[in-house]
Amino acid sequence: MLEIAGISAGYSSVPVLRDVSITVAEGQFVSVVGPNGAGKSTLFRTISGILKPSAGAIRFEGNDLLALPASRRAHLGIAHVPEGRHVFPSLTVMENLELGAFTEAGRQNWKTNIDRILGLFPVLSERRRQFAGTLSGGEQQMLAIGRGLASSPKLLMLDEPSMGLAPTIADFIFDQLTEIRRQTRLTILLVEQRVAEALQTADHGYVLEAGRVVLEGDNQTLRANDRIRAAYLGM
Amino acid sequence: MSRAEVGPPHGVRLMTFPILVENVLQSLMAGLLVGAIYGLMCVGLALIFGIMRVINFAQGDFMMLGMYVAYFFFAALGVQPLFGSIFGPYVAAFLAAPVLFGVGYFAHQFLISRVSGTRTAQLDGEGHYAQLILTLGIALILQNASQMIFGSMVVSVRTPLSSTAWIIGPLWGDFIEIFVNKARAIAAIVSLLVIAGLALVIGGTRLGKALRASADDPTAATYIGIDVNFAHRIAFALGISITALAGGLLAPNYPFHPFVGLEYVIIMYAGVVLGGLGSIIGAFWGGMTIGIVQQMSALVLPTQLQNSAIFVFFLLIVLLRPQGLFGRVTERT
Ligand SMILES: Nc1ncnc2c1ncn2[C@@H]1O[C@H](COP(=O)(O)OP(=O)(O)OP(=O)(O)O)[C@@H](O)[C@H]1O
Ligand SMILES: [Mg+2]
Repeated sequence: MLEIAGISAGYSSVPVLRDVSITVAEGQFVSVVGPNGAGKSTLFRTISGILKPSAGAIRFEGNDLLALPASRRAHLGIAHVPEGRHVFPSLTVMENLELGAFTEAGRQNWKTNIDRILGLFPVLSERRRQFAGTLSGGEQQMLAIGRGLASSPKLLMLDEPSMGLAPTIADFIFDQLTEIRRQTRLTILLVEQRVAEALQTADHGYVLEAGRVVLEGDNQTLRANDRIRAAYLGM
Repeated sequence: MSRAEVGPPHGVRLMTFPILVENVLQSLMAGLLVGAIYGLMCVGLALIFGIMRVINFAQGDFMMLGMYVAYFFFAALGVQPLFGSIFGPYVAAFLAAPVLFGVGYFAHQFLISRVSGTRTAQLDGEGHYAQLILTLGIALILQNASQMIFGSMVVSVRTPLSSTAWIIGPLWGDFIEIFVNKARAIAAIVSLLVIAGLALVIGGTRLGKALRASADDPTAATYIGIDVNFAHRIAFALGISITALAGGLLAPNYPFHPFVGLEYVIIMYAGVVLGGLGSIIGAFWGGMTIGIVQQMSALVLPTQLQNSAIFVFFLLIVLLRPQGLFGRVTERT
């Protein structure tokens, strides 16, 4: 579904990603883990089109993503739930969700999607008229995920959904992600610091360090790897 | 004042009470009427400055351009013969609005977009310095080009409505009569209707939500599929055309010239800041407040000091309520 081939990308002065290749097949749950500053968010921004790579190719369902402006990519079925949530603070919870359905697919499936979203995160229903900027961090994260789901995506990209959240809230969000997967077989690409959880639920994982993929494999392979065990799982 | 009957001591002239009330009500009415048009003007700037956070110093000059366009529609392009002198000025104002929408659209596409929108992330001060200089340049070009093309003579859209009035009263026995200038009253009502329509569009439609989202968080707006630069362009063009419409509505009562923009741009910024940045309805109330303060101050101050009164009031509000009179505090993350 998503094929990233030999991408190099970075910011005006700093190159960050070097020759990164990642593949996500339809229906798969893929995790990318790695230390701070490894370039995980940079990878996501490149997929979303905010950053232009200096080399490499990205294809999504056969389309050449790099030939499309950033704002068209959501309409192909890519939802990016960014690090730090980035809800629209001066819009209400409901308006944030409605805007998630800015895509054609989102509008067509609005009824089903909104029921599912409010079912997964009932607190959003209670706060529907509240300005998103006044929500707690955990609520904002749920709203950001809800906004992503409202677009009826084929691929949901989540950048550190547990960042800055209390463990119980983070656990709840992971549980709901699993629940979404159970309900819809939605393809997910996840970036996470909570490596144990990220690998546990994933079909396939990549380890990104200093802008390179240093290791990849399925759940068992990665969890059995000594380096992973020592560096990320504390075993 | 000459009707004062009781001669007060020390030569202080004093009005009798009914006349005082009449003067206050008359000024209040004048303030409400001009305030509604100021409100419309401010709403135009609010879209650009309040919501999109683009500094546009040329807003008053685009408005001046709108006044001239309305004037030419009315006087030279057949609106007056076709619609008469009563409806003509309003038709002309509504024709000027789409023309200025186009002007704003292209001004944004070729100039403003280079220093605003998604590009500004990399610029100092979110591109505000560049916007300041660029729009100041646009203002100077518009002023001087207009002077070359239109001349520096003061012109106005002539309609019998601007010199006739409805009379409210007599109230309170026979004492109080309030004059309501017809042209100003109609302009005020049209302004209110346009603002109500705009508030519905911004508040409730997909376009309106997309504009607000683009202003709130351009990157996240892109992630959900909004073409943020295009949204900014629409907001800019809409803001210009709304202010130009207000200009067209002012034209029958307020003669204008190529340098009139400066007077109004100050009122607009004061109104938008008073109303609380980011709020359309707030900007309207900001403009309304300025109209009322300006007209009421005429009761006690000489005409030359009316605008000073606005700014003393403005400073007081900014000191006491930095989020604006009608603003609410929402954090922008
Ligand atoms: N806008 C930017 N301009 C310049 N450099 C940047 C920018 N954003 C990120 N970087 C740099 O790029 C590198 C990778 O950053 P990135 O945000 O992709 O890391 P990450 O893997 O997501 O880290 P974290 O786990 O802390 O979120 C870092 O060294 C960072 O300083
Ligand atoms: Mg990151």
